[in-house]
Amino acid sequence: MRSVSITNPAALAERLTAKDQVDASVPESGMPPYMEMFLAHLRVLIGVPFDYLVPDARLLPDESIRFFYVDRSWTDRLVDGAIAVGKTGSREQAHHQAHAADVQSQLDLTERVVRILQRGLQPPDPPTDQGPARVLTGFLLRSAAVTGWPAMDVRAFSTIVPPYTGNPDDPAAEQWALQAAAAQLTTLRLELLSPSVLLAIFDGIPELVWLEQPHHNIEFGVTPNNTGGFILDRHGPVGQVEQPAVPVPVPVRAANNRVVAVAALRDELAALTGPPVLPQTGSAAFAIELLDYPWRQRFEGVQSDQRASSGAFVSKWEVASVITEPDVRTAVTELLP
Amino acid sequence: MTEQPLQGHMYLFDSATPPLDDGSYRLTVGTQVDYQGTGQGFSRQHYFDIIGPRFSVPQSMVATTWPPSNGHGAFQDGLAHVVLSRRTLPWERELDPSNLIPPPTIPPGAPAAPAPPVPWVALLVFEEGEYTLLRNIPLQQAVPADVFGRLGSPANISCDAVEADADLVASILPSVEELQLLAHVRWVNVQDRELNTAGGDGYYAVVISNRLPEPDAQCRAVLVSLEERADLVQANPPPFIFPRTGATAQAEAAPPAEAEPPAAGLEVGPADVLPSPIFTLSQPPVHTFSPLIPLPVQFPSGPRVRLIALTSWQFTCEGPGTFRQLMQNLDVAMLGTVADVGHPPLADTGHLQIELQDRLGASEAVWYRGPGVPYNLTRDPNGPYHSADQARRVTPETGAEDVSYAAAFEVGRLLAAADPRFAQAIMRWRRESYKQSARASTIGAMEQRLTLSLPGTLAETLHTPVSPIIGTAAAQAVAASGPPLADAYGLTKVGGAAGMNPANLAAAWNLSSASEAADLLGADPGTLGAVATPPAPTIRPDTTLAEVAADTAGLARLSAARAQAVANATTTLGGA
Repeated sequence: MRSVSITNPAALAERLTAKDQVDASVPESGMPPYMEMFLAHLRVLIGVPFDYLVPDARLLPDESIRFFYVDRSWTDRLVDGAIAVGKTGSREQAHHQAHAADVQSQLDLTERVVRILQRGLQPPDPPTDQGPARVLTGFLLRSAAVTGWPAMDVRAFSTIVPPYTGNPDDPAAEQWALQAAAAQLTTLRLELLSPSVLLAIFDGIPELVWLEQPHHNIEFGVTPNNTGGFILDRHGPVGQVEQPAVPVPVPVRAANNRVVAVAALRDELAALTGPPVLPQTGSAAFAIELLDYPWRQRFEGVQSDQRASSGAFVSKWEVASVITEPDVRTAVTELLP
Repeated sequence: MTEQPLQGHMYLFDSATPPLDDGSYRLTVGTQVDYQGTGQGFSRQHYFDIIGPRFSVPQSMVATTWPPSNGHGAFQDGLAHVVLSRRTLPWERELDPSNLIPPPTIPPGAPAAPAPPVPWVALLVFEEGEYTLLRNIPLQQAVPADVFGRLGSPANISCDAVEADADLVASILPSVEELQLLAHVRWVNVQDRELNTAGGDGYYAVVISNRLPEPDAQCRAVLVSLEERADLVQANPPPFIFPRTGATAQAEAAPPAEAEPPAAGLEVGPADVLPSPIFTLSQPPVHTFSPLIPLPVQFPSGPRVRLIALTSWQFTCEGPGTFRQLMQNLDVAMLGTVADVGHPPLADTGHLQIELQDRLGASEAVWYRGPGVPYNLTRDPNGPYHSADQARRVTPETGAEDVSYAAAFEVGRLLAAADPRFAQAIMRWRRESYKQSARASTIGAMEQRLTLSLPGTLAETLHTPVSPIIGTAAAQAVAASGPPLADAYGLTKVGGAAGMNPANLAAAWNLSSASEAADLLGADPGTLGAVATPPAPTIRPDTTLAEVAADTAGLARLSAARAQAVANATTTLGGA
């Protein structure tokens, strides 16, 4: 067994305060890449057991969404605990003490590329975002919607982006999209913790969060009218519903009145005239006519609770609106020659 | 990542076909070699198969479905669809390679049928009771014998099949043209998705069903294979009707499209006035059945057919359950909000009271709060912590302990200890730091004790070995500290000896001049350390071979010398 080299408490204190360490700016005193990534993963709570995130099931009941701030002190302790592995003596402690500040500031940068690496992409080198650490926020969603609509779009914005209601072909729509993209917060983590629980962590305090039905899973549907038949709204060339809405009656098969007569409906759509109607060239154009809009749920509003401070974010939800950029287009008819 | 659509955009394509359909192929490679009029040809044949999903579709290729598998919700107004992450799947096989299905008859005025390809799969929705799902049966039992033959009679194939009334299948099965309309490809943006999304490039094939599920029915959507099923797939869509819709009903109020001759004995009234339910004995009651309400009981009748079921899932049409309804009914709050205050016992700071066994084994009520908090907290500046105990706190208000950060420390330690590679990395990190630290200490101590002129970048150029540089610097310092080594071998001193001085020698030996003494001493000025000038090299002109050959005089001398040498040798060897 190694003999204790420092026994005097004063000497120990001296060693911990006046640490004789190589300067943290020296390249080789930096963390090995694997260690850095491991700790950055801990920063966004990857691998932390669910019981530690939600200590009681009643905190996240069924069909609920819970927003939260990430407690930076908690994640710092997580990292301290990880570095405590193999810390057997004052030498390791002195080393950690000397490097802690640098480790922290390095991880503040590295935590931003974890999701990029998780998605199998190449992070920018040097990192584009060198800013100081921001407040992390996020939400936990437990809902049948997570199971039923996997891969929904989740976006958070630093300002409230008003819903766009105009024509999706206008230049204003592009302007709006740019404005929205500029206000979007980086998503640091978006992962299923179980088939019905979704965890998201954002880099910053959002004023607006929206969850959008995944575009590859948009439903097809018809609208029943009150007399037992079905109608369909007409869509224009880019998928927008025509205003004023002129419903199209839906033909059904004579042998089974809940089976849509697809070919007849296509013929009917093709025969439509009037304001720009989508030309019926094939299954893609036909699908656009049948598409329902993807639902975009907005969570917005500033908290007005008793403990609210400036910048606190939603605990209330107010507005929900339908998606307003159904930019669906038909492109080529075949992908490969 | 390759390019993808803009956020919020989606592109739709009619179809996506692979470069080669599934099947067996023969590849013939030939070459012809001609050489000096005669030619020879070589050729070789190879066979290869392209095998895709044919009798079942693995679950990994099903990206998602609508309605969700085992989902409950208001799905009765939507058409079920399945999203396949393999975008070419619906077009990988031919529906009817033997051309048994006649070409469709297109009525005049109707738009032309979509261009091929035709998908070989269709999504059919059956209600509970209408179908039987047969698991893992031999292919021979799943399809008729002639279809089995046209499929190539593959041996030992098991598949799932769905069995239903022939009439029912005929009433919902899409025709050829409808098959084409019910499948397309989508290209979407996958930037803001969680990670397990199948089909990372954003392309998906979507196959839609054509049947609206009944309300309150339990349904099963089945993706069936229609390959070689010319016995079922119709070339032309079956006849259709327009059920009474609000729009057309108004338009058709006046024309007697539905005004059938009234039954005898009934008063003819406006079409929308139902017969009076009051009746007399002389007038039998009139029962009206709406043609739109299906009979509640359907007896299986007639023959049943089987179709290969590639994949299937169940759903139930009841209650709310669309994405929109689920989202709007969410319970929205900050983490730490509970419906029933006090259950669980939660402080307004988000701390939860939990039971803990302390080190003595006694039970203790402590506070715990996870990383998600309802308020924006400042970051603890007292770091780092070296043990979990350092992070334990006592809340002054309650006197109870707060173990949140200690728990975080411990979970971090356990996660790290569970990862051997992390342990290696952190050990390397420390070892490197110790090594650099020791090196820096060495350099500092040496510079402190010796006045060395070390290169200023030595502390930063980490891979430079320290000892030779310090050794060299030290040797230089030692050398620089003594007098200059002008007479390294002591020649000046030796030269100063009496016996080596020409003047002394001349005086001692009574020589006439000092130069004579110098000659006696060897006359070599280099001996005494003076500079000796080497003799200038003799300049010799370059000589070419031609000049040598043209030098007849020299040649004659060489010949004479040779003759002389031969004569000498002859004489030496004794005449002859």
